Amino acid sequence: MQTKGTTRQQAIQQQIAWAAPTLGLVLLLLLPAFARYNDYVLQVFTHALLLATLALAWNILGVSGSISLGHAAFFGAGAYTSALLSLDLGISPWATIPLGGVLAAGIAAIMGLFCLRLRGAYFALATLAFVEIPKVITDNWDGLTRGSLGLVGLPGLPSLQLGSYHFDLSASLVGSYYFVLAYGLVLLGLVTFVFRSNLGLALQAIREEEVAAEAVGIQVQRYRLLSLLLSAFFSGITGACYGHLIRYLEPGLVYGLHFSAIPMIFAICGGRFTILGPALAALVLYPVDQFIFHPLLPAGHEFLYGAVIILAILFMPSGVWGQVRKAHFVSIKTGSVE
Amino acid sequence: MSLLRLEALSKKFGDHWALKEIDFSIDEGEIVGLVGPNGAGKTTLFNLITCRHRATSGRVFFANKETTSYKPHEIQKLGISRTFQSSRPFAKMRTLDNVMVARVFGGEFHLFAQSTDIDSARQLLELVGLAHKEQTPAGDLTLSEQRRLDLARALATQPRLLLLDEVVAGFSPVAVKQAVDLVRRVRQRGVTLFIIDHFLSLSLRVSDRLLALDHGEKVAEGRPQEVMRNREVVRAYLGTRHEDESQSA
Repeated sequence: MQTKGTTRQQAIQQQIAWAAPTLGLVLLLLLPAFARYNDYVLQVFTHALLLATLALAWNILGVSGSISLGHAAFFGAGAYTSALLSLDLGISPWATIPLGGVLAAGIAAIMGLFCLRLRGAYFALATLAFVEIPKVITDNWDGLTRGSLGLVGLPGLPSLQLGSYHFDLSASLVGSYYFVLAYGLVLLGLVTFVFRSNLGLALQAIREEEVAAEAVGIQVQRYRLLSLLLSAFFSGITGACYGHLIRYLEPGLVYGLHFSAIPMIFAICGGRFTILGPALAALVLYPVDQFIFHPLLPAGHEFLYGAVIILAILFMPSGVWGQVRKAHFVSIKTGSVE
Repeated sequence: MSLLRLEALSKKFGDHWALKEIDFSIDEGEIVGLVGPNGAGKTTLFNLITCRHRATSGRVFFANKETTSYKPHEIQKLGISRTFQSSRPFAKMRTLDNVMVARVFGGEFHLFAQSTDIDSARQLLELVGLAHKEQTPAGDLTLSEQRRLDLARALATQPRLLLLDEVVAGFSPVAVKQAVDLVRRVRQRGVTLFIIDHFLSLSLRVSDRLLALDHGEKVAEGRPQEVMRNREVVRAYLGTRHEDESQSA
């Protein structure tokens, strides 16, 4: 029996669940109109969107219960693969960006071989250590990667010509912004598809109770590997896009702890049992960090991330969006219900 | 023709024989109770049949296939499902989704849930009396509800043989009576049942036969009343009378 109070609360939560993302999307679509004369705002939100895609990609693995601290391996591998192929061989970034994703997935396959037999903190620590392998290789294979000098002068994203419309994606900040927004929406669609499919059901079951998942016929390791590969593929694509937007790379930058930790922070704060939570956290926390904390504390502004993750773990273990969605964790569509 | 056959099945943990040379078979359509005191090896036997653990020696046959070294999902596909001694719900998922997982992965895989899957998941929740809780996260259910959810989930994979591990432990007499009815209804669906029941409150009422274990060895098998009068079984459960000991000495 539900009391009137809880029903009303649920109704409000349902409304927030629809209203907040819709409002957010409208704001994101209109942002360049507001911020046309402020390049900095546009740059910050472009980067926030990029980090949102990284958090979404991270959570494809995260939803299965595995906390990765090694996604910089995929981000960096994707960035370097796409950068080198386009820089040295002159291949169009449209072709090299997906190849960056493929190489990242290849690295994930090797990582999976060693790390997927581990669980919980052991898995997290092993992935953290694993990042050092592609980092050291990139840092020292001077002939191929130019080592610690890094790469400069990466080709930007080519312009798009659709009929009579011309979209400049690299010189124009607005163009870059909309490109990353479009990629984010496509990825969000894919993540929704995965999470709401029976594949998502399997990943959640593995997270909740691995032994029981196995007992009902789920091939646990196969699904964990699949989620790792998908997660790495899209992290690699995000890394590749990052390279072509920033147009320079350094091993210490793209393989740094920053790109491993930040998707985890966003996912946990936003809600790693939800589809949208990780992306929403990225779109809120990164601008807050850049606009408010960075001017106040130029040297230590990232303490924000440390603080929010402690607060989230203590007071909202299922994340802010998880709290709003409450009992409505990602669940399959069941006809008339909901 | 037996559905499940165990041949000299043994399991050793370190220096300790958890199960020793168990020979046993179960026919299609039977309800068999597996009884014995704590540490007798009951759950270990289930773990060997469902291939969660690998037998040290001996063989398991199910539906005329040797399944001794199958993987858990393979044995599940062949038609053996189980519940767990401490129920293991997918706590954050809705009760209905718990059954859906089993339905989808125990049966034919589709990328998206089929309406027939949803219908049969709902029917199973109806069967175990949880239809009104289908939207509740499974972790919020009571102990007895979680056990019934475990049962619905195991049935959703459409098993030929269902292993129930202590489904009624801690149940009130009323709940035990409901479980007795439920087990009979499950049998009517054509499922063979193998039931672990430490306190015998369920198995004495529903079983066609009992298998009694003590310290990993088979001490008796047969009709429930015969097994319960067996000296070895009584001794395992209640200990030895002082006079008995002095007589045998």
